[in-house]
Amino acid sequence: MTKFNLNGAEVQTNAPPDTPLLWAIREDLGQTGTKFGCGVGMCGACTVHVDGNSEFSCLLTVSDVAGRTVTTIEGLSPSNDHPLQKAWIAEQVPQCGYCQSGQIMRAADLLSKNPKPTRDEIRETMSQNLCRCGTYTRIERAVARAAQEA
Amino acid sequence: MALTSPRANGYNDSTGSSAALSRRDLLIGGGAMTFLIGADGLQRVASAADTATTAPTGSVSPNAWLTIHRDGVIDIVFPSTEMGQGSSTYLPMMLAEELDADWDNVRIQQLNSDDRRFGNRIFGGFLYTAGSTGVYAYMPPMRLAGAQARRMLIATAAKVWSVPPERLTTKPGRVVDAESGRALSYGELADRADFVTDVPDVNESDLKSPAEFRLIGKDVPRRDIPTKTNGTAEYAIDVRVPDMLYAAVLRAPVEDETPQKLNDAGARSVSGVVDIITLPDGIAVVAETLWAAFQARDQLDVTWTSTSVLRNADSTADLETYAAAAEGNDAAAIWHTSGEAKAKIGQAPRKLAQTYRSDYAYHAQLEPMAVVAAVTADQRGAEIWAGTQTQSWTTATATSVLETTPDRIKLNMMTMGGSFGRRTALMQEYVRDALLASKAVGRPVKVVWTREDDLRFGWFRPTAAQRMSAGLDETGMIAGWHHRVATPSVIQYFNPRRWKQVEPKDIISMRGSENKFYDFSDVLAEHVITERRARIIPWRAIGASYTAFAAEAFMDELAEEAGQDPLAFRIAHTSKNARGQRLLRTVAKMADWGTPRTDTALGLAYAGYGNAQAAGVAEIRLNREAGEITVERFWAAIDAGMIVAPDNALNQIEGGIVYGLSSALKERITIADGEVEQQNFFDYPILRANEIPRLAVELMRDGPEPLQVGEVGTPMVAPAIANAFARLTGKRLRHMPFTPERVLAALA
Repeated sequence: MTKFNLNGAEVQTNAPPDTPLLWAIREDLGQTGTKFGCGVGMCGACTVHVDGNSEFSCLLTVSDVAGRTVTTIEGLSPSNDHPLQKAWIAEQVPQCGYCQSGQIMRAADLLSKNPKPTRDEIRETMSQNLCRCGTYTRIERAVARAAQEA
Repeated sequence: MALTSPRANGYNDSTGSSAALSRRDLLIGGGAMTFLIGADGLQRVASAADTATTAPTGSVSPNAWLTIHRDGVIDIVFPSTEMGQGSSTYLPMMLAEELDADWDNVRIQQLNSDDRRFGNRIFGGFLYTAGSTGVYAYMPPMRLAGAQARRMLIATAAKVWSVPPERLTTKPGRVVDAESGRALSYGELADRADFVTDVPDVNESDLKSPAEFRLIGKDVPRRDIPTKTNGTAEYAIDVRVPDMLYAAVLRAPVEDETPQKLNDAGARSVSGVVDIITLPDGIAVVAETLWAAFQARDQLDVTWTSTSVLRNADSTADLETYAAAAEGNDAAAIWHTSGEAKAKIGQAPRKLAQTYRSDYAYHAQLEPMAVVAAVTADQRGAEIWAGTQTQSWTTATATSVLETTPDRIKLNMMTMGGSFGRRTALMQEYVRDALLASKAVGRPVKVVWTREDDLRFGWFRPTAAQRMSAGLDETGMIAGWHHRVATPSVIQYFNPRRWKQVEPKDIISMRGSENKFYDFSDVLAEHVITERRARIIPWRAIGASYTAFAAEAFMDELAEEAGQDPLAFRIAHTSKNARGQRLLRTVAKMADWGTPRTDTALGLAYAGYGNAQAAGVAEIRLNREAGEITVERFWAAIDAGMIVAPDNALNQIEGGIVYGLSSALKERITIADGEVEQQNFFDYPILRANEIPRLAVELMRDGPEPLQVGEVGTPMVAPAIANAFARLTGKRLRHMPFTPERVLAALA
């Protein structure tokens, strides 16, 4: 059994310790906002925060997070009103939406460390996350908006 | 089995909530009128109860498309499926416009069955979401349905007040009598036992003029976006139902092979494995957890048959076979012809011919195939949670697999994590596998594909070779245009039932080659239907994604041959197309076409999708040592007719451009010995945020009717880049994608 903090609550999972964190979060703990896209850390759909840093949850195992703090899109803000979530709505970013949990988690990590990023800094950081619908220009605008309004 | 869980897609499940629309409401709850949308458009097929009745809940259904509840809430059917294009908001909004509904009180009801009353008239009345048809297919019936309901509401109010209906009007959500200052809300009217349904039919002339629109053409926010920013949007891959198991499928490495010998001892020893099931073309491992299913799958030891004729499929060699066919003279299916193209070319003083190639391309939708199926105890019924582009063919898949009838199939159409044509087939093998696994184990089963599954067993845009031939007359004008496309028939493979109706005309393989935007009077577009060597299916912009590459790269070569500027040459050939000329002039102005660049170059292309037109200019930079093209800027001018949702249209068009950029620069599926060679995003890269050019899109908004938005952005991109490359280097790129290897070869 592995214990860790998920979105502010102490949780435990019986998933085998080598289970990718992504599947434990989604299927065992029922938080499906974090998505599976590639399983190899190439797309970022599974991006979560571990102790405040963004990570590909498909590349971590359950044992890697024992005793640590994991935040998913569901735990980003208590009322879904994080400046990035508001900016995502204001800019009408999502199309299919499948990548956007990961995009927002990636952007939240960026702004927590670099509250006023340049355009190039936004582009470089966000290039770890794929969006097949091609909403990249809106993601860039939404991150800039959130940085400005935060 | 009570399996339905609450949905959270920003719109409701029409079968999941008690207040929702049901067949019973439609038929009993005052459903006075039913519209059938056939291939010929809207027809009134039934006019039932002359005496209005209200449903027990105090609601009324003026027609099949909507139900008005006494609390003012209005349920409107969303007949398509949502894959990111936004029509789950904007199709119901078109009805709400004519109804004069209070948009905040509208609930959107996903259509979860193959109910042909709501069929897509562009596709013969099937429930099929494709080809950027949603808005223009559904605008007429849904606006009429809204206007008809509004007329009933006005008639009811007139009866209540004993006034002639002509003096009444509506404001959002209520009927008003300006003379007396009275008003009745739609909810109050719906609750009346004497609701009037016996009103004359509305027709086109009863619809609002664009100047009266409150919703259409305005930036109404999408309903699904909040749920897509907080993790609550529910995709098929997210569905969990009680007692559910998980399955991973090991598929035959080559199409048409089957399992011959199976040693599953290792797999069965993995903790959590419940059963191992032999499928027609694979082995399903069913387990208590997805991770156990994946791990056990790796332990399977399968001997496959080795008789498939596709064992020797080789994408490089096969494309050369197609090229020989394109350059040859064998009989071909005529896709489009006017005038005497071959004769005109033969007589022309100057002739030009070139061959263009394009590789297989993968959809790379970010949600891999995933589906949940729960087969009933008698094995003849099922509930299915799937994201597909078609209620009709998902139902057909299920009825075929279970040898049953559509009434035994309950669908839940989930919002999709992208699709781009991938989830359109007549037989959907991911749905089939979930049904077979569930049937075998007697419990609900979720099938999830890994990215590797999704790539290796993907269905692709076909590889194509195209021979372009044209003549130039004494004045440098084009005389005769011959476009010969050698590629398989996509329809024949992905929907053989449809092929029987359309053979030999394959719009999926050929779209765009008809070249309808130029003045050409002598055009021949031919389809050399080559042997299929991979699984193929529609891909964003279908044929236009490669036919426009060949046609517009060739236009540039002709302009050069004629000694003319590419812009002037295209304007000279669009004298009968004022809207097209406007796009060309607009994009030239946006890009400052006339000003030469020093280290970069501009390339122009003019293409489109269906009747929607697009002109684009790419500005590229080249790393000559590495062979790497960078697109720094992309300007586009688009005419997609009347725009229902301007901001969303821009999002779709930008997405279409990005899709085109990614395909033109990077995307390439290769096949050797019958097997797809790519595995994941590390060897099938798609465009990332730091590779996106600055985009500028100007959208014309004065069209008389809506056209295709979702795919219009894609076709122009590849030729614009190829043409910019020619300006920069004097060399032509005639094989898409323009990988560094090909760029270096062109420069050598």
